[in-house]
Amino acid sequence: MIPIENFLVLSSILFSIGIYGVLARRNAVLIIMSVELMLQAVSINFIAFAVYLYPEQFTGLIFAIFVITIAAAEVGLALGIILRIFRNKGTSNVDEVDMLKW
Amino acid sequence: MVGMGEAWLIPAIPAAAFVILLLVGKYLPRRGDWLAIGAMAAAFVLFFAVLIDLLGEVGKPDFVGVTSSIEWVRFDLPSGLEFELRLGFFVDQLAVVMLAVVTFVTLMVMVYSTGYMKDDPRYGWYFAAISMFAAAMLALVLADNFLLLYAAWEGVGFGSYLLIGFWHEKRSAAEAAKKAFITTRIGDVGLLIGIILLWREAGTFDISEIFEFAEAGGYSTAYLTTAVLFLFAGAVGKSAQFPLHVWLPDAMEGPTPVSALIHAATMVVAGVYLVARLMPLFVVADPIALNIITAVGLTTVMMSATMGLVATDLKRVIAYSTINSLGLMMVALGSLSVSAAMLYLFAHGFFKALLFLAAGSVIHATDRQELSDLGGLARRMPVTAAVFAVGALSMAGIVPLAGFWAKDEILNVVGDSQNFVVYGFLMLSVFITALYMTRVVILTFLGEPGDREAHQHAHDAEPVMTLPLLLLAGLTVLAGFVVFDGVGEALGFPGGIGEFVFLEGPEAFHFPWDVAVLSTLSAVAGLVGGFYFWSGEAEPARRAGELFRPAYKILKRKFYMDDIYQWTIDRVVLAAGGVLAWFDRNVVNDTGVDGSAGLGVLAGYGMKFLETGKLPNYALAIVTGVIVLAIVFMAVRV
Amino acid sequence: MSYEEVIFYFVAAVTVLGALGVVLTRNVVHSALFLILALLAVAGVFILLSAEFLAIVQILIYGGAVTILILFVMMLTRVRDMPQALDGPQRPFAALAAGAFLVLSVLAALSSDWPGETREITVVPFREMGEALFRDWAVPFEVASLVLLVALIGAIVLARGEEGE
Repeated sequence: MIPIENFLVLSSILFSIGIYGVLARRNAVLIIMSVELMLQAVSINFIAFAVYLYPEQFTGLIFAIFVITIAAAEVGLALGIILRIFRNKGTSNVDEVDMLKW
Repeated sequence: MVGMGEAWLIPAIPAAAFVILLLVGKYLPRRGDWLAIGAMAAAFVLFFAVLIDLLGEVGKPDFVGVTSSIEWVRFDLPSGLEFELRLGFFVDQLAVVMLAVVTFVTLMVMVYSTGYMKDDPRYGWYFAAISMFAAAMLALVLADNFLLLYAAWEGVGFGSYLLIGFWHEKRSAAEAAKKAFITTRIGDVGLLIGIILLWREAGTFDISEIFEFAEAGGYSTAYLTTAVLFLFAGAVGKSAQFPLHVWLPDAMEGPTPVSALIHAATMVVAGVYLVARLMPLFVVADPIALNIITAVGLTTVMMSATMGLVATDLKRVIAYSTINSLGLMMVALGSLSVSAAMLYLFAHGFFKALLFLAAGSVIHATDRQELSDLGGLARRMPVTAAVFAVGALSMAGIVPLAGFWAKDEILNVVGDSQNFVVYGFLMLSVFITALYMTRVVILTFLGEPGDREAHQHAHDAEPVMTLPLLLLAGLTVLAGFVVFDGVGEALGFPGGIGEFVFLEGPEAFHFPWDVAVLSTLSAVAGLVGGFYFWSGEAEPARRAGELFRPAYKILKRKFYMDDIYQWTIDRVVLAAGGVLAWFDRNVVNDTGVDGSAGLGVLAGYGMKFLETGKLPNYALAIVTGVIVLAIVFMAVRV
Repeated sequence: MSYEEVIFYFVAAVTVLGALGVVLTRNVVHSALFLILALLAVAGVFILLSAEFLAIVQILIYGGAVTILILFVMMLTRVRDMPQALDGPQRPFAALAAGAFLVLSVLAALSSDWPGETREITVVPFREMGEALFRDWAVPFEVASLVLLVALIGAIVLARGEEGE
């Protein structure tokens, strides 16, 4: 059988790739996609812990469901915001949207 | 039956009147003067109730006075000590004398003021201020502990400030008010220090408890002497004794009724009253304290009397005569005679108020107060002239007016307990007093008018102003007779008023003919001398002035006291103030306050560039934070 | 090596490959396609974890709805027409941070002393999980529905544009 560490390492890799994407990418849509990767890593962790360590409880699984739900909401909202910014400023690059400073 | 237990009402009623006048005074008919006068009349009536109650008690053995107090503040300290402040009023014979003078003179002055201040735009405020002053003064008289006494003492000073500066549009009045307040404050600081010193050892503010503590030897002699001298400093300020007398002549910038009330009958005698009230402490202290009081009093007497000779302002002459009288009272206190001082205070309250109010009538009628502008007014204002003459003769000490008996008693005790130098100087002061009182009467009411136009319009004042004058004149004539036991007994005082109030034993009032004759001779010599010098063209006075030119100049410049103080203020106080101001401006303000603010601005200016506004930078910061925290947690866990 | 492990390594490799494609590729549309690949592989991981229901949800919501939405927005914002570089100037720092995080996370995962069974998967009955979700977790479930509703309304308001635009 597969030990739990395999899944944890996989989710760590996935999360780190997400971090890299969030930090390195300029385009807001690409950043959203990287965030999705990070959320996937979190879901893997939740489910792994649930089925290995606490099978009598469903907390991890149910949290994974909520993560997916919230992620859907977040994507919808974030893309709406990106569209709005694009219409107002003609760009969807986050480093060109820097009015909120001195 | 209202009695001594209700004595607190006497200051409370004018205080209530003050509050009402302050809040709604301008909506009241006649702007509320009737309320102030009514409150004062109520206090005067209450005084009789207290007096009658006291008469019933005073015969009992071991009677020292009645106190009624309430608990004000109380802490139980964790160390087990308890700290309690009581607030109360104390009535004894001494307080009753003061009550009589204060309530009666205030009432008279208020009635007089309805005429004198009639056209003043701040008529209502005037009565409010007088009520406030009277309340503070009465509380001062009745206070049974030092805290209340001090509070009332400052209240009196504040009332005086308001009233001297009543016409504050006039620069000299505003300056005089400031001068009076600051000068008396110097003494007040001494008073406060004295109170704190007394409290520190005794642990109480209650005056009678402090007496017991002192008499039981609770204070060392040197400590107590220091403390009472500080207390005396307060009296020096308030009672215009040398060297803090300079404010009183300037205080004449206030309305004349105010001068009569504050600077003759009530506030200035607060210092005398304070020393009299605390006499048991002075007795226990080193005798040097009493000698200092005598010396200060005597210096004051001689300086003021001589300055009175050359003053050219009607009110100022009377002001100097007031300082003169206050000095006399201090000399009496320095001779351990509370009774003589209080007798003089009692008589002085009436005749000095009379003098000021009569002078007020003159000023009211002529709008002049320089003696050179006055003259010959006896023909135009006979009533005023007559009552003024009565007051002046009383001040000069002519039989049988009140001033004579009181002054005689002082000379008497001084002759008994002091050396002949003091006695001789006092006798000389009697002569000088008579001299300048004669001078002021001649220059005001006799001779030729200095200003014909003003003289033409002068006439006696309306009845509301004349009536208080006549009442005070009557008392000036009669008040002195209280020294005779027969008079007192007829009025219902057991053993005579003299024994009841002023003099401790039946034989205490004595009337040695030598003193009486000598003082009368001095006074009469003064009168004759005054007529010789100043009647007609006043040629002898001018010649005398030229003959003693340097002395005349010194007197004119008021012994250079004002110049010395001015020099001190300019060169010492303001210089030191300049240094402090420089320190405050440059170090405290520029470096301390502005500097730290500037540092903040600078730091903020530098730090704002950290905020790029770019999302990736923020995200990187967040991730860095997470990583650092993770490292920390792992390091701690391992 | 058991066949389960073989499958796991295959699925994991596909997942990592997809993820790397998402963050490294120069073409945004390829990036989105790599995302679909990664999401489907994660669904496979879910199946390996015996959470079939979640795998199905994953494919429906992510593989279907979310990626379609992302592609739509890419089209609307004309990302492909933009000449600028896709990566920002802080790329080295990003790599450094990601690497540091990876090291820390793997270290934590391997060094932790997990309680309970770590070798065997206990299969969670699908039915019991549904009962727990709608009984014990009813309130959070409803709140999540509300969040979704609010987010959708917000997205519509934001994306709809001003009057007369």
